[in-house]
Amino acid sequence: MTEVQGGREFLTIGENVHTTRVLVRGGPGTGEDGCGRETVVFADMDGNPRSLTVPDAEKEAQAYIEGRIRHVKIAVDAGLAEDEQVESARAYLEAMALRQVDAGAHFLDVNVDEISPRLDKQQRAMRWLVELLAPISPVPLSIDSSNLAIIEAGFEAAAGRGPTPMLNSASLERLDALDLAAETGSWVIVTAAGDSGMPEGAAERVTNAAEMVEHATARGIPLERLAIDPLVFPISVDGRFVNHCLDAIRTLRQRLGPEIRITGGMSNVSFGLPHRRLLNEVFILLAVEAGADSGIIDPISSPPARVLVADRSTRRFRLAMDVLTGADEHCRAFLKAYRAGEIEEQTD
Amino acid sequence: MPELTSVANEFLRTEIEQFVERPDERERLIALYAGASERMQSMSAALVEGEHLLVDALAREALADGVPALEIMDDGLIAGMALVGIKFRENFIFVPEVLACARAMKAGMSYIEPILSESGIEPIATVVMGTVKGDLHDIGKNLCTMMLRGAGFEVIDLGVDTSPDDFIDAVEEHRPALLGMSALLTTTMPNMGVTIEAFIDAELRDEIGIMVGGAPVTQDFAEDMGADGYGKDAVACVELAKRLAEAEKHRVEA
Repeated sequence: MTEVQGGREFLTIGENVHTTRVLVRGGPGTGEDGCGRETVVFADMDGNPRSLTVPDAEKEAQAYIEGRIRHVKIAVDAGLAEDEQVESARAYLEAMALRQVDAGAHFLDVNVDEISPRLDKQQRAMRWLVELLAPISPVPLSIDSSNLAIIEAGFEAAAGRGPTPMLNSASLERLDALDLAAETGSWVIVTAAGDSGMPEGAAERVTNAAEMVEHATARGIPLERLAIDPLVFPISVDGRFVNHCLDAIRTLRQRLGPEIRITGGMSNVSFGLPHRRLLNEVFILLAVEAGADSGIIDPISSPPARVLVADRSTRRFRLAMDVLTGADEHCRAFLKAYRAGEIEEQTD
Repeated sequence: MPELTSVANEFLRTEIEQFVERPDERERLIALYAGASERMQSMSAALVEGEHLLVDALAREALADGVPALEIMDDGLIAGMALVGIKFRENFIFVPEVLACARAMKAGMSYIEPILSESGIEPIATVVMGTVKGDLHDIGKNLCTMMLRGAGFEVIDLGVDTSPDDFIDAVEEHRPALLGMSALLTTTMPNMGVTIEAFIDAELRDEIGIMVGGAPVTQDFAEDMGADGYGKDAVACVELAKRLAEAEKHRVEA
């Protein structure tokens, strides 16, 4: 059951092809090859077991030293370098993309901001990734960047290779992005960021997002191709953050009507805490109750069909709920229960 | 090599035993705590537990009893924070708990800072600090600010969500030797490079040493974006600042 407000289907934007994504060293999805080299293991689209070797350069990165493998970055780097792993890298990213579609993704978000601080390399990475995924993906991509020049590179690469991608995102300080969306007839996510920074409470989010919707419609972008991202901040930092976001969603839904999509990067909410998936899922549910009808999420680990009908009577649900509403100050009860091993992992 | 038993405080001993696995870090922490008075060890313990009211009271009492401000800062506060940093890195504690510890550190520092600034000791250098545009996450930046002040720097803290123009204005106004930028989000990290570009455009880049830090930042990124240095945590930030300040001094004198 993925029906949300207005009886329509929850719009799933798959977030997995991001160069920020990590695997825990030695954890699921990692392995060793015959020569004892650390690898990322996966099944390609034909079901054959494959692997990507963690390159030596990556082993000097802080993420690796602290126990994390940036698997998407490794694959994109291999693709750009056209090194001996390029075929495995392509197979890896293709499988990652298509598995999200199988899990119900309506759009595939791609973000390479992390690949390098250099714009030319970021653009090259975006072009390479879009050229790889656009032709094989049955659903449109969502070109995600904090820099319009990278989004433009993605749009150029997507032209003539399948459906027009979604643009993620435009904001008051990046109105030019709306022009690109208007020209190409693409979907566009507009954020609640202000013209000179991040919004503080609910009211500022509503003002900024409503203004963005006006700017978009003034350019002829119809409501049915618009999604609002009210901006999800981590609850670990401030117990009020989720309420700010949910209040903004409620007001925006009430004010703008049922047609416009309300989405968001749901997994931001759990940054800095354990049991991230649990927190993300309860948050998705709360956001949908407030009036959201879309999410930039991992549809494989958190399929909306399961998330939206979660059993609310469990202790784990209530603990997560109290964190998100701010009732559990400094997440004390949640972390205590975590340490006592009282929050069991999801079994499915 | 000092033994764990040379740390008088039982809580700290247990913490080290339970949470500090790397031998070099174990040795360093044991030496740190063993070299501190029992009173300062208690303060470290309170800080590690995130008890800001207790740290506040202990700092106040210690000062009233004539314990030097520098000793309280080094042996009571920074020493505690060293353990917090390790526990966080190893996922034994999480962001809300680090924030509680940071609040405790701040409580203690609120008594120390005025004493240090009144002591007439010439600051090592002035540092302008801020999180970059779009980034509201200031845990790490605040820790760096406190530790830098504690280490004898004058810090102009611009807070969060700092635009390149705001950084430039502050640098023109305060003429610091160093600029420190932090970003927690991968989406805002590129704004460090944007800010550095803005300094180049404003012809101010050569006037300052620029250091960067934050979760997504790496040494490679720091070099690529044209920063002068990268610090992986607040302790590294202080070491880096000292090094860059020294280099700046030589540059100005040359």
